[in-house]
Amino acid sequence: MTTQRTKRLALVAVALMAMPAFAWAENLTMWVRDSGATLTTRVIDHWNKTHPGDPITLSVIPHDQMVTKFATAAAAGEGPDLLSLDLIFMPDFMKAGFIKDITDLMAKNPNIKKVVQAHLDLATYKKRLYGVPFTPDNSILLYNKALFKQAGLDPEKPPTTSGEILAAARKIRKLGPDIYGWYFSGSCPGCNIFTMAPQMWAAKGTVVLPAGCEAEPLKGESIKQVLTNYRTMWKEGLIPQGAKVDPGANFMSVFMSGKIGMQGSGNFAVGLLKEKAPNIDFGIAFLPGPNKGDASSFAGGDVLTIPAASKHAAKALEVLNWVLTDDPQLEVYAKTGNLPSRTDLAKNKYFDADPRLTKTAQALAVAQTPWTFHFNDMSNDNSSPWIEMLQTAIFEGDVDGAIAKAKKRMKQIQCE
Amino acid sequence: MSHANVAKAPALAARPRAAPERRTARRSRYLLGALCCAIIAIMLFPIVVAFFASIKTSSAAMATPPTYLPSQLSIESYLHIYHYQAGLPTYLFNSLGVASIAIVLCLLLSVSAGYGLARFKIPFKEPLFLLLLSGMMIPYQALLTPLYLLYVKLGLQQTLFGLALIHTALQLPFSIFLMRSSFEAVPRELEEAAVVDGCNSFETLWRVFLPAAIPGMVTVALFAFVNSWNEFIAALIFMNKESTFTIPIMLVSSRIGHYGMVDWGALQAGVLISIVPCVLVYVFLQKYYVSGFLNGAIK
Amino acid sequence: MSTIRYRRSSAIGLVYVAPALLFVGFLTLYPFAELIVMSFYNSSLLGGSSFTGFNNYVKAWNDAFVWNALRFTLKYTLFITPILMGLGYLAALLTAGEQRLQKLTRGIIFLPVVIGLGSSSLLWFWLFDSQVGLFNKLLQDLHVISAPLVWFGDAELGLWAVIISIVWKVVGFGMILFVAGIQAIPHEIQEAAMIDGTGYWQRVRRITLPLTYRTIMLATLISAIGSMLAFEQFYIMTAGGPTNKTISSVYWIYTNSFTYFKLGYGATLSIILMSIIFAATAVQITLTRQQRDR
Repeated sequence: MTTQRTKRLALVAVALMAMPAFAWAENLTMWVRDSGATLTTRVIDHWNKTHPGDPITLSVIPHDQMVTKFATAAAAGEGPDLLSLDLIFMPDFMKAGFIKDITDLMAKNPNIKKVVQAHLDLATYKKRLYGVPFTPDNSILLYNKALFKQAGLDPEKPPTTSGEILAAARKIRKLGPDIYGWYFSGSCPGCNIFTMAPQMWAAKGTVVLPAGCEAEPLKGESIKQVLTNYRTMWKEGLIPQGAKVDPGANFMSVFMSGKIGMQGSGNFAVGLLKEKAPNIDFGIAFLPGPNKGDASSFAGGDVLTIPAASKHAAKALEVLNWVLTDDPQLEVYAKTGNLPSRTDLAKNKYFDADPRLTKTAQALAVAQTPWTFHFNDMSNDNSSPWIEMLQTAIFEGDVDGAIAKAKKRMKQIQCE
Repeated sequence: MSHANVAKAPALAARPRAAPERRTARRSRYLLGALCCAIIAIMLFPIVVAFFASIKTSSAAMATPPTYLPSQLSIESYLHIYHYQAGLPTYLFNSLGVASIAIVLCLLLSVSAGYGLARFKIPFKEPLFLLLLSGMMIPYQALLTPLYLLYVKLGLQQTLFGLALIHTALQLPFSIFLMRSSFEAVPRELEEAAVVDGCNSFETLWRVFLPAAIPGMVTVALFAFVNSWNEFIAALIFMNKESTFTIPIMLVSSRIGHYGMVDWGALQAGVLISIVPCVLVYVFLQKYYVSGFLNGAIK
Repeated sequence: MSTIRYRRSSAIGLVYVAPALLFVGFLTLYPFAELIVMSFYNSSLLGGSSFTGFNNYVKAWNDAFVWNALRFTLKYTLFITPILMGLGYLAALLTAGEQRLQKLTRGIIFLPVVIGLGSSSLLWFWLFDSQVGLFNKLLQDLHVISAPLVWFGDAELGLWAVIISIVWKVVGFGMILFVAGIQAIPHEIQEAAMIDGTGYWQRVRRITLPLTYRTIMLATLISAIGSMLAFEQFYIMTAGGPTNKTISSVYWIYTNSFTYFKLGYGATLSIILMSIIFAATAVQITLTRQQRDR
């Protein structure tokens, strides 16, 4: 039996539920993916502290669903005022018109000329600019100096070619039954486009993901060379068995056990290792290609954009401008060991304290990012031709067949 | 439905048991008891070890190879979840709110429809029933995009009430099925008696059918709660603000770091947090279950 | 005793059914109708859509992924349904009585049914992980295996890992249905057989099974439909791998609709899957009815 009061309370509760949640709060809203939440929260907190009159409300979206959620919202004319989007998805959304063109609005900002070129490239469509670099990260070669020393390798001379990686891995494997030379997440498409692909395109002229229907996918000898290198390491047992099924869950944790000689990783590893595994003496190097002198990196991370459906575009623009100024770049990014988007700030007092951080900043200079439509279909989705090629070539051994099949599938996706 | 015959007790007692039979009977009873205990252990093992992992330190939870018991107790995984983004209380409030509305709507609609289908001569009853059940055969993920566009037109997106409507729609087929079966099992005599007393259809429903179908209603409520509580995709797509997110979304996001690295301790803590309310509701509702609550469904 | 006016009133009956009907019509049938229409367009979430007639259906016919997913889903359904029904029935036989231990066991077997599929899949994903999972450790401690298995590295092992996790979660549901059916059997029949000296398993075969036939058919149907629509467990545990060998039909629908943004094609695949399930259900129900009427 409900009393009058209970009935009234129930009515109020239902009314609350029925109100759109933003009815009374006119804050700027912003979305970011969970894998980038830590740094982004720091940046936004800093903005909120220095701009108490224009607070930003941040919402964290699971990265697997970020693109879906934004596309669904944008198609319906909904969405946040600011969007931190993984730069690899920019081409599709720029083409679809879901993101605001900020070319003219940004023209007056001097900082825009001093930022990571790869990010600017990904945020450009038909010569118009649609976003600014927000939370850059890049890939590097991570190696365990202690294990190097034990194996008789010079800890200050990390491998500079694929062949040297193989040789080092062999030596390190001999150190013990549960010590391995190399690690990679064998079921993580994103991790490998991040760490394996740069080893391929370090050789000039290589194309991993084509820019459109006319371009040839997976062009270049180095594709086969790098895949064969991995295959050899797998066959010789230089990689732990669990690597085959790791969807990225153990991307860092296995190296943190101190039993891995080398692996491709990201700049974020520096801070993470210092915090969670301080006993490991690790080094940072560029990801090498098959030939001597080739090195590269994947310039990844998020760009900050204003969705076309944003209701507070003018205010949002202020945030974009602010993010590139010295204060956040140094006091939030550099101070916490993260790469600043401003390349002129790569050398700063925080980074000088740890040469490994400087190395990660230098890697940004040789970094590339593939500009392609349907990045998800081509690479990051679990059914993509990229991951299928990797798994077939490395775990099943058919390198040529894997490449041929992947070429066909990629061409099909681009030309549909 | 025929009732159990109470004469079974004398019948059994009338048959004297020989001594060796008694021993075999006792041995098999112990064996069966041991079997039950083994089954209980197996079924509880995953939850118990998950709990232990959630009270390990964050790095211990990621260790290779793993251990069953924690060497050092720590609630840092739970703290990580509690403080995550909008905070656990917000997510709990949202999930509870949506689930409560879904329960109420489910009960109202399924009791009403089940009553109509069970006790009235409606034209095309069977096809109608199949139509209502057809919802169970549709992969609901496919319906989400048209639903989202519909919601935008109605202004229902981003409201917890709108989400509850979707959860109700997902549960309705099964709920109607349950309520119809429960009502069909109510003896005619009770209904006739009420009619003779001069009750109209609604009074009969209220006085006769509802009390008789309490186990069925409890089951509907339980499943409506559990399915709404754990629903992920609609909750994610339809809500835009962190402050309106529900527990499953928090569960998925809170464990992820760069490139999909998983904080295993946080994952366990999250899993346990999402399990506990469902278990509590289940245990609480247990006492309303008469054994064989689905008796009617089996006719 | 049969002239109760309101009972015959179909109008009042419809009034009771109407709210639910409107609700389902609005929130399920209307989007479903839209889905059917969408399947004839090649609409993309990123914008742009044009009428393509039956093109999507032809494309599905030629899509190897569609056939592989269907084959895999059927395989999964055919493996897991007998296991679920068999174990559920055995559990029901064991716990159908009124003793405290029986009730406790019943309650605990049913417990995993009330936790979410997502939570359960995450839990087992962790248990089966080859680096940090305890399932391998348990098997090694029990000397069943000597070295840790990489469960998700092999399509067969991955399938069994998922089956194990789903059996743990769902067996209680079938068990409860069967317990209800078994408890509805009049005791006199059981006693008559006992007095005749029939053994336990013979009694089960000759009395219990036939008298719970309808329950078994119903439970099997619900279970099979659920298995054909399986998605979340594969999404979370195997991610369709290795090399796309454990993609289920709904997983492929999800990928096309939500990752590739191909709404039209995703709609087509949904319609196809639904038609298959619907046809199979219709056949099963007809066969059951014939069996019963015999």
